[in-house]
Amino acid sequence: MKINVVESVLKANDAVARENRRRLDAAGVVAVNLMSAPGSGKTLLLEKTIPALAAARCAVLVGDLQTTRDAERLAGIAAQVTQINTGTGCHLTATQVGEGLDSLDLRSIDFLFIENVGNMVCPAAFDLGEHRRAVLLSVPEGDDKVAKYPTLFQPADVILLTKVDLLGVLDYQRSKVYQDLSRINTRAPRIEVSSTTGQGLDRWFAWLKDQRRAQVSDS
Amino acid sequence: MHEMSIATALLEQLRRIAAEQQAARIVEVEVHCGVMQQVVPESLQLAFEAASTDTLAAGARLKIVETGLAARCRSCGEQFEAAIDNYLCPRCRTADVEIVAGRDIVLRSVVCEV
Ligand SMILES: Nc1nc2c(ncn2[C@@H]2O[C@H](COP(=O)(O)OP(=O)(O)OP(=O)(O)O)[C@@H](O)[C@H]2O)c(=O)[nH]1
Ligand SMILES: [Mg+2]
Ligand SMILES: [Zn+2]
Repeated sequence: MKINVVESVLKANDAVARENRRRLDAAGVVAVNLMSAPGSGKTLLLEKTIPALAAARCAVLVGDLQTTRDAERLAGIAAQVTQINTGTGCHLTATQVGEGLDSLDLRSIDFLFIENVGNMVCPAAFDLGEHRRAVLLSVPEGDDKVAKYPTLFQPADVILLTKVDLLGVLDYQRSKVYQDLSRINTRAPRIEVSSTTGQGLDRWFAWLKDQRRAQVSDS
Repeated sequence: MHEMSIATALLEQLRRIAAEQQAARIVEVEVHCGVMQQVVPESLQLAFEAASTDTLAAGARLKIVETGLAARCRSCGEQFEAAIDNYLCPRCRTADVEIVAGRDIVLRSVVCEV
C-alpha cells in the first residue's frame, strides 16, 4: 500500500524552535545564534562582547561535541552559562536549546548568545528559535569560504569578518569575500572585527543593541 | 553529518505513520531534499540503515530526490530560480531573498505492508 504524504521531516525541530522563540519573546530576550567553522573566534568574541553589554544581562548556551572548555572560559564573564555537549552531533538542535533554556533564568537577561558547534554546513539547517543569525569568517580560513559554504552565509543577519588583525600577515583579499557576498547575501551588514585589538567591536556592539531595541519594540 | 539527525526525525515520522496505518512493515520511503540542506545521499542512506535497525522500516528502500531552489526577492518581490551559490535577483541585482523552496526535507510517500 502506498501512502502519499507531504510532511516536513524537520517539522518536529521547527515546532520546538517556535516554542523556544515564544519563550524568549515572552521574556523580552533577543537570541543570537553564532555560527562558523571551528576556531573562527566565537568564544573570544563573546568574552569581549558580554562585559561591554552588561554581563549581568547576558546568558550563553554553548554547544560543543566534547569538553566544557568554552563554558569554563565564559563562566566568569556572563551571568549564566550552560554547556551543551552534542556528542557526535555536529550541530545544535532546537530540543537541546529548549533544554538549555530550562536551565536559565530568562527574566533576568536581555541577550542570549547561542554558540553553535563549529561547522560550516550542518548548523545552518536547524532553526533553534533564535532571532538573529551571526556568521563569523576569520581571516586565516581564507578568502574563498563564502563561495564554498553559501548555505551558511545566505541566511545570515550579520556577517563578522574576524581576526582582521591578521590581514597584513596572510595572503587574503577582502575584496574576494565581498564579491562572493554580492551574489549570496547583500542584506546582512558586514563588520570587520578583531577581538585581540578591539578593532570594529563598537559596530558589533551597536548592531546587537539595535537588535534588542527592535525586539522590545516588536513585542 | 546532520544526516543522522534527519534519519532519526524521519524514522519518528515513519513510526507514527505505521501506527496510524496499522502497518506491519515499511518497504519504501521517498524523501525530497532541498539542495540547501546539502544532504549527501550516501550518508543519509547509511544513517537511515543504521537508525532503522530493529524498527518497522528495517531494510526499507529509501529513495532520495534532490529538489531545486526558488527564491523571492525581498526588495522587488520577484520570484526566481536561485542556485546554491547565487541568489541575485535578476530584476534588481540584490541578493536579499526569502527561500521559497529548496530548504526543506519533505517526506513524500511511504509504501507499507499491512
Ligand atoms: N589574532 C587573533 N586571534 C584570535 C582572534 N579571535 C580569536 N582568536 C584566536 O583564535 C583561536 C580560536 O578562538 P575561539 O574563540 O576559541 O574560537 P571558536 O570559534 O570559539 O572555536 P570553537 O568553539 O572550537 O569552534 C584562539 O586561539 C583565539 O585566541 C582575533 O581577533 N585575532
Ligand atoms: Mg568556542
Ligand atoms: Zn529584486
